[in-house]
Amino acid sequence: MKEFELEPSEHVVIEARKHWLLFLGELLPYAILAVIPFALPKLITLVPSIASTTFFEYHTPLSRAMLGVYLLITWTSAWGTFTHYFLDAWVLTNQRIVNIKQRKFFSREVSGLFLSRVQDVTTEVNGVLSSLLGIGDIKVQTAAEDVEFVMRGIPHPEVMRDVILKYVSVKTEPTGV
Amino acid sequence: MPDQPLQAFSPPSSLFSSLPAGLSEGVLVTWVLYAVFAFWALYTFVAIYHWLKYSHASWLAFPAIAIHLAVSFALIMYALSGQALFLTRYLP
Repeated sequence: MKEFELEPSEHVVIEARKHWLLFLGELLPYAILAVIPFALPKLITLVPSIASTTFFEYHTPLSRAMLGVYLLITWTSAWGTFTHYFLDAWVLTNQRIVNIKQRKFFSREVSGLFLSRVQDVTTEVNGVLSSLLGIGDIKVQTAAEDVEFVMRGIPHPEVMRDVILKYVSVKTEPTGV
Repeated sequence: MPDQPLQAFSPPSSLFSSLPAGLSEGVLVTWVLYAVFAFWALYTFVAIYHWLKYSHASWLAFPAIAIHLAVSFALIMYALSGQALFLTRYLP
């Protein structure tokens, strides 16, 4: 990640992304679209009135060109989704939390929150599937009440919370002076 | 239900009947393919730019780009020639 420069004494502790299952959920429409041209001919045979259609016989150059273009568009869109998923990340360093939001191409938001300002870290896991798979949200609250950092859909939020709190306590530990 | 004999694909005849004079089906299909591939190239260029700019340090950047290019080229080959390189066995 080059969008923020690490301070001389700063190092990356953990980098987190949305849970892979949420990513698979985003890919599901593309998977369905990719399967349609292969599944539809088989499904059509189940309906007697349209069973004789020859629209899905992919033996001519034109039909293959159409199928190739269709699959190319579907594949490229799915890859674009993966690109957005991967470029959307939360980075915890020993000094701050950096939230990188890749909304779309050429629309990127990078915001940082210094651990010294963190007052409270809350995790939230809602639903059966989220509980079983350990998917949840983390809310990081600062002294200013309106400033809140929310990480949604991250894997094992309680682990992430503990790591954040560990570095928050390191940052705020009395020096003994 | 009796089995139907397989017939070659034929696009709806009305699809190409209203083409302007001098514009054949072949020319139309060629230009549609040009448009799609141009869009693909632009989209891929923008996505690779983002990968290299923001995730160049990640071990996943180059494999992700390489897989995308390989699959895309195979599908482009399939659209143009019917041969899809390593994807041939998965496609009709």
